[in-house]
Amino acid sequence: MTDVTVTATATTQTTATTRGSTTTGDRTMPLLEGRNLRKTYRLGRTNTVNALRGVDVAIEAGEMVAIIGPSGSGKSTLMHLLGLLHGPDLNHGPRPELSFAGQPMVDLGEGERTRIRAREMGFVFQDFNLVPTLTALENVGLACDYAGVRGEPARQAALAALALVGLEERAGHRPAELSGGEQQRVALARSLVNRPRLILADEPTGNLDSERSAEILALLRRSNLAEGQTIVLVTHDAEVAAACDRVIRMRDGRIQPAASPVPAAETLVAGDRLLATA
Amino acid sequence: MRDLGRRKLRTTLTILGITIGIWALVVFGSMANKINALVEGGSTYYEGKVSVSDASGSAGGFAVAPMSLSVADEILAIDGVAVVMPDVTMLMDAEGASMSMSLPPMIAGSLAGADEGRETFPLNYAQGRALTPDDEGSSVTVLGADLARQYAVGVGDTFTIRGVEFQVVGVLEPTLTAPDQTAMVPLQAAQELFVASLPPMIRESIDPATIATTLTVYPADGVDPEVVADRIEARVAGVTTMTGKDFDEQIGSATEIFNAILIGIALISLVVGGLSVVNTMAMSIAERTREIGIKRAIGGSRRRIVRELVTEAGLIGFIGGAIGLALGALVVVLANEAGRPSGNVLFELTTGTAVTAVLFSTILGAIAGFLPAIHAARLDPVAALRYE
Repeated sequence: MTDVTVTATATTQTTATTRGSTTTGDRTMPLLEGRNLRKTYRLGRTNTVNALRGVDVAIEAGEMVAIIGPSGSGKSTLMHLLGLLHGPDLNHGPRPELSFAGQPMVDLGEGERTRIRAREMGFVFQDFNLVPTLTALENVGLACDYAGVRGEPARQAALAALALVGLEERAGHRPAELSGGEQQRVALARSLVNRPRLILADEPTGNLDSERSAEILALLRRSNLAEGQTIVLVTHDAEVAAACDRVIRMRDGRIQPAASPVPAAETLVAGDRLLATA
Repeated sequence: MRDLGRRKLRTTLTILGITIGIWALVVFGSMANKINALVEGGSTYYEGKVSVSDASGSAGGFAVAPMSLSVADEILAIDGVAVVMPDVTMLMDAEGASMSMSLPPMIAGSLAGADEGRETFPLNYAQGRALTPDDEGSSVTVLGADLARQYAVGVGDTFTIRGVEFQVVGVLEPTLTAPDQTAMVPLQAAQELFVASLPPMIRESIDPATIATTLTVYPADGVDPEVVADRIEARVAGVTTMTGKDFDEQIGSATEIFNAILIGIALISLVVGGLSVVNTMAMSIAERTREIGIKRAIGGSRRRIVRELVTEAGLIGFIGGAIGLALGALVVVLANEAGRPSGNVLFELTTGTAVTAVLFSTILGAIAGFLPAIHAARLDPVAALRYE
């Protein structure tokens, strides 16, 4: 993870500019837009953690965005808010706003948010998070089921998604019989199966070696290009961040002003080293 | 549902817990059924009539001391009495029955048709025919279902009662109460058998044709048996009466206590079984917190999660209940077969008991799963995902 290749940075930068020009052409509303996003967690009776201290963020449709920052910077919290897993704090400050595909999300009930998660979003996690008792096919099929697709159409969709990640032959295997890279590909298939507008990936390569990481990133990029899916991924890994169109850097619950569209890889790595020794 | 099969050990243990509870419920419930059937049969038998016996000795409603038939004429003269029918009933075993949970085999002699159609206790014939007035003077018998089965005799066979051979002319359908263990004979035959059992000195001074052990009194239409019983006790010396109400008071209250104990034992085993289900479901769901977090995160609704978990718990309850019922039924059948030669048929497994047991365990399982399921579905998906 310490070796950051300059070539990767260069190639993605060109991709970013070309894609940037296409999205700004039609001047549409951002897919995701948040204002005054705050989140405070309680730890025990008296301790509270200000995970997000007021964040404004906009993510355009078709973008592949990395959120980076040291541990505790609020990057996962931001992702949970964007993915409707948590709601922003409503008290102690200006009213938060969050829109997804033009619709306001803040006042939605749990049931409606669950429905949007099922139909419009796909999730990938660091530790794969497959249901251990279900086969790869059933795990992918579960996402279809939650999105209201059942029976043979669901089976076909799940098989197609597994084929997309190159795992159709492993469809009948359970997670314990799959390698880490394969499990993450199943999770990726699960996130893609409903062709959601938005894929949210929380440290998707955190538990994988560099070769498997590259595979997952390539698959994410492919679906971003092929389906125009918007991808938001949280990462520690400068190399992963460098493969994205844009980077949102976070520190202490706030977004750092963007100095350049691509992070200075050296500072990122240095930051991680600092954290590791601290 | 496929989840169940893949969590074999815990599922098996949970099912075992329920199985034991339901097994106990089925076995004890069947025992209570049998006792209830006996009591209910007695209650039905004594309903609407008055049984009169000698005041000097009676046991459980069956008179053991003889009374003169002249008493019958005295009773018939009482206002409100329609018919008086003499019966001779006695234990089949002259030495007296051994201690037994159920009714001992009996001999019952009566004059066929003497009730003038007033007897309401239903008797159905599996084989052969009922006794008729023409049978008086001959040695024929109609056997109760249990007796016929126990001695493997049917119509046309001979059946020996107290050393006298009787021709079997009919076999009753099971009634689940006294008649199952009874050999019905003509009155005259019963009178002779009764006198033969008396000590020689007394025997010689008695004409068999003049005695009865019980007089069954049928009140006239619309007359309360209680009123008739009171009149008989007031007018006739040396007799005691028994009505349906007396029977219910004497026998019914005793069996109620016994039933309460049996049901209590079954309920305790069920509570223990039920708690083990609640515990296992709670543990199982706690262990799956992370999985529930995953499902919630990728769009599984709360309702969906609760439904899944409750269905699973209900299915576990159903399987446990079905196995418990099967094992209970096996015990009931084996114990009844083992007890039949000695007349100890203690269990009666009814459809109602079987259905109740399985339904109960299914509902118990679902309820046991419900609270932990609600709790799990309300967890914050992000926190649930971090749960180890």
